[in-house]
Amino acid sequence: MQEHILSILIFFPALAAMLGFVIHKDSARAYGITVAAIEFVLSLVLWQWYNPLGGMQFMEMAPLISAFGISYLVGVDGISLFIIILSTFFTLIGIASLTEKRRIKDLIITLLFLEMTMVGVFASLDAILFYVFWELSLVPMLYIIGAWGGPLRIYASIKFFLYTFTGSLVMLVGMLYMAYLYHMATGSWSFSLLEWYRLQLPLEYQLWLFAAFFLGFAIKVPMFPFHTWLPYAHGQAPTIGSVILAAVLLKMGTYAFVRFSLPLFPDASVAFMFPIAILAIIMIVYTAMVAYAQEDIKQVVAYSSVSHMGVIVLGTFSLNVEGISGSVFLMIAHGVVSGALFLLVGVIYDRRHTKMMSEFGGLASVMPRYATIFGIMMMASVGLPLTINFVGEFLSLLGFYKQSHAYTLVAGTAIIVGAIYMLSAYKKAFFGNVTKEENRTLKDVNGTELLGLVPLVIVAIWLGVYPKPVLEPINNSVKAVVQLMHDKAQTVEAKERIPDLTHSTQEAH
Amino acid sequence: MEIYLYIALFAPLVGSLFAALFGASPKTLITGLVASGLLFASFVSSALLLGHVMNGHIVHVEMMTWIATGDLYIPFGFVVDQVSVTMMMVVSVVSTVVHVYSIGYMSHDKGFNRFFSYLSAFVFSMMVLVMSDNFLGLFIGWEGVGLCSWLLIGFWYHKESATWAANEAFIMNRIADLAMLIGIFMIYWNLGSLQYDVVFAHIGTLPLAVTTGIGIFLFIGAMGKSAQFPLHTWLADAMEGPTPVSALIHAATMVTAGVYLVVRSNPIYTLIPEVGTAIATLGAFVAMFAATMALVNRDMKRIIAYSTLSQLGYMFVAAGLGAYWVALFHLMAHAFFKALLFLGAGNVMHAMHDELDPFKMGGLKKSMKVTWIFMTLASVALAGIYPLAGFFSKDLILEVAFVEQHYVLYGVLLATAGMTAFYSFRLVALIFHGDERHLEHGIHPHEAYTFMLYAMAPLAILAVVAGMMFKTPYYLMVSELLPAAQYHIHNHMTLWIMIIGTQALVIAAIAYAYKKYAKAVKVDLKVESGFFYQLLFNQYYIPKIYDEIFSKPYLQLSKIAWKQIDLKIVDAMVDGIANLIYQTGESTHTMQNGNLSSMLRWMVVGVVVLLVLAVAFTVAYNNAVNLHAM
Repeated sequence: MQEHILSILIFFPALAAMLGFVIHKDSARAYGITVAAIEFVLSLVLWQWYNPLGGMQFMEMAPLISAFGISYLVGVDGISLFIIILSTFFTLIGIASLTEKRRIKDLIITLLFLEMTMVGVFASLDAILFYVFWELSLVPMLYIIGAWGGPLRIYASIKFFLYTFTGSLVMLVGMLYMAYLYHMATGSWSFSLLEWYRLQLPLEYQLWLFAAFFLGFAIKVPMFPFHTWLPYAHGQAPTIGSVILAAVLLKMGTYAFVRFSLPLFPDASVAFMFPIAILAIIMIVYTAMVAYAQEDIKQVVAYSSVSHMGVIVLGTFSLNVEGISGSVFLMIAHGVVSGALFLLVGVIYDRRHTKMMSEFGGLASVMPRYATIFGIMMMASVGLPLTINFVGEFLSLLGFYKQSHAYTLVAGTAIIVGAIYMLSAYKKAFFGNVTKEENRTLKDVNGTELLGLVPLVIVAIWLGVYPKPVLEPINNSVKAVVQLMHDKAQTVEAKERIPDLTHSTQEAH
Repeated sequence: MEIYLYIALFAPLVGSLFAALFGASPKTLITGLVASGLLFASFVSSALLLGHVMNGHIVHVEMMTWIATGDLYIPFGFVVDQVSVTMMMVVSVVSTVVHVYSIGYMSHDKGFNRFFSYLSAFVFSMMVLVMSDNFLGLFIGWEGVGLCSWLLIGFWYHKESATWAANEAFIMNRIADLAMLIGIFMIYWNLGSLQYDVVFAHIGTLPLAVTTGIGIFLFIGAMGKSAQFPLHTWLADAMEGPTPVSALIHAATMVTAGVYLVVRSNPIYTLIPEVGTAIATLGAFVAMFAATMALVNRDMKRIIAYSTLSQLGYMFVAAGLGAYWVALFHLMAHAFFKALLFLGAGNVMHAMHDELDPFKMGGLKKSMKVTWIFMTLASVALAGIYPLAGFFSKDLILEVAFVEQHYVLYGVLLATAGMTAFYSFRLVALIFHGDERHLEHGIHPHEAYTFMLYAMAPLAILAVVAGMMFKTPYYLMVSELLPAAQYHIHNHMTLWIMIIGTQALVIAAIAYAYKKYAKAVKVDLKVESGFFYQLLFNQYYIPKIYDEIFSKPYLQLSKIAWKQIDLKIVDAMVDGIANLIYQTGESTHTMQNGNLSSMLRWMVVGVVVLLVLAVAFTVAYNNAVNLHAM
């Protein structure tokens, strides 16, 4: 079983989803929880079996179109491992705390399909396979927003679909051209990432290919100025849609930067480092300001998501082990925290059917447990030490400081602007006197909701206090990426900016 | 000894978690008792560790790894040395007193359990701050106390002013924290470690410019926590929190964290005396600046808060001039008498039904004798009259400035000492002497619970004896770690003139305050409507200025960013492109309407276009080839 664990992880939810069509709708929820729980346990088993010191593991290969070197090639390393676990974890939590009443069976089947595509994306090591899963993931999300969303759901879902799809098409062209270059260089076709890693491209080609991939990834992240689909998607999506979207789907973009852009195009990464850093800083500061201006609490969380993704992008493009490890860790952290915040917004939306902060106020006295959990997650979101976000945010900024002091100083305002929008939103919703009559009788969080929230609180603090089990495998895999980049780099600047790990231990000592 | 270290550190955390279990339930006395008991255990452990350190031993433990990636390695490491044990004693003594006091003070509050949970969590964070053996560990505590401060300032969260002040404190501290993080980044990338021992051993190898940068950024971090100008406004607003909180957090411990940071980083600051002078100058400025605001204020707690600010300025003068042990000594002495002063103010507030304006009080010495004695003692200590604590610590700072030949700083501090004595006794005179003005408002004051007074007694004793008894043993202890400079004025004549002159000035200020406020209070309208009075009364208009130039524009700009830029430019462009494509399809789909003759016409058009293109490309290609050939 060990050698097929990844295939099982990818296709088990899909098979279970198909089987789900014949399940009676009353037992759909129990069925969904069971499947998601099995899948989650399997992903933990994967972690258990994973060797933190090894490279790519659990690889499986089966040729699909051998004439063009397209194959079913999957594997995990420290970078993808935890995002896979994050996906299975959130599918489980999402289904377990589902409060949706409409067409519950269809929703669960959709979620299980979505789980397949998510695990597939993060396990793929073949570009075409990656692309297929990447695009497939749009379909279930399109349904979730379009079928279970708010009043503007059709507009939001089509915007989400077309926007990301357009970006992905450009990325696909980039992939095809990359394979063509590989063919020119070696005489054989391959879409295997591991083969591609060995290819050293001239800078000019790198720049164009980097740009093509970038468009696909940047829209997914979403990076400024490609972010405007996100507020609509979150605004209209049901809670479960927002949770999965923020916690996992956005990570596809930043993950792809680490998996594709950096190791394939090290010189281009260096060349584009500062332009991207500027976009990242705009994401951090500008979207934080936009978040501060929001009247709808879900939009605050949505924009805060973009702001935090800016820190992740910045960490990724610090191009050193500290920063990239931090950004990968922050992907997990942001998944946990933003997912939890969307779940929390869902709790109050279920009760009041509004998300406007002006409708609330004084909730701390009516729903103390809810206010406490929200408070913990808010503090995690603003990056308080000993919460999960701090580790990632600190390392990301620390890493980029090596590249530029001034940029990091500006980007570091994330910790200020983040506190401003979060604290003021919390104040509006939870503090003050209860002004609306209908808020006086609100029920505190119930068992179903706690089922989703409590594990997230535990993870947010546990990995903040003791990040080592996650950070160590990430660190080892990131080291491999950075060393590969350094070895492949051709320009003098790139050689300098990407550290050589073979003899750079502790210059100061 | 390690076990005592862990008890001192984690007992408050256990207390906090225990109280948190009852967080949402109605008042249970047990939470207060357990939290106080655990704090006492922490105090006893700290005292045992103090004995151990005084014998010349240092306890250093590494509990476990926290963050390790790349070359970065940060453990949860804790060190009990001469400096941290001093801080541990201050923190554990004051917090034990405040915990016991709070059992009485908060007894009618429905958030009783929650309060103890926050208060103990604060002590835990503070312990982490002072005991960590590396800069990031300190940062954990640093942010932790910030969180607890936010929770406790906004403890009465239904009050708009309280939650506003809580957010202000948190955000303003965050601004300084960014600078501190940058300082930490600089240390890491230049020295490869954040452990104190490694950093301090190698700091001398760095170029002076880098060391200066580190020193400046760390100090900006310190300015936030210690509320130095221009990040000072949050401290006075923080008085919205319950009074025991003000005593513990916003007087004795958290606000001194900045001083602790500078003292701890003394190997860095010793290398950059120019930065030290700047720190001292800012400190002297803040000392006077805050004292002037305290002169006219009409809010009892704010007066004491400004006094705290002013005393923090004194500490920074000492630290900036390299007299680290003097700064730490004043930190300790100040913690005792300032906490006492605040707790006394808490008694008065309870008696006065939360009235804060001392002009509406008076004559309370009849009904609140013990509180009167305590607050007078604390004020005498604060004024620096022999032989109370302030005389030994505060006047020492004056001597430091004099010996280091910073005569301007000396002059400023001396004038400030006079103001300190005046505003302190203005407060005492207004509250405890003169007519019982509160009777008009139908208030009949009563003394606080006896056990609260007993709880305050240790602080009163310390305020009296701490200077006299602790100075020598303290000096002998910390001089093993901190630069051991003695600040003696060798000319006896000068020394006696200085001591007597300072004492005379202070006593005169006290006498003037009594004369003006102890009998009848006359309101001098001419003075009060004057420019200077209004300037000081409005805190130099700084809060208003901040509101106008930072808060409001930021909100405006945010709204513009959302409604004008994000919706009307960025998003509209995306929709515009999509619409353009859609419209093109709409307007050209008639081409394929199935009408044979129109489709043939379009086919002809297409063929012609293709032909033209083919010819054009061929010509261009041939030209290019020819050019190459030539």
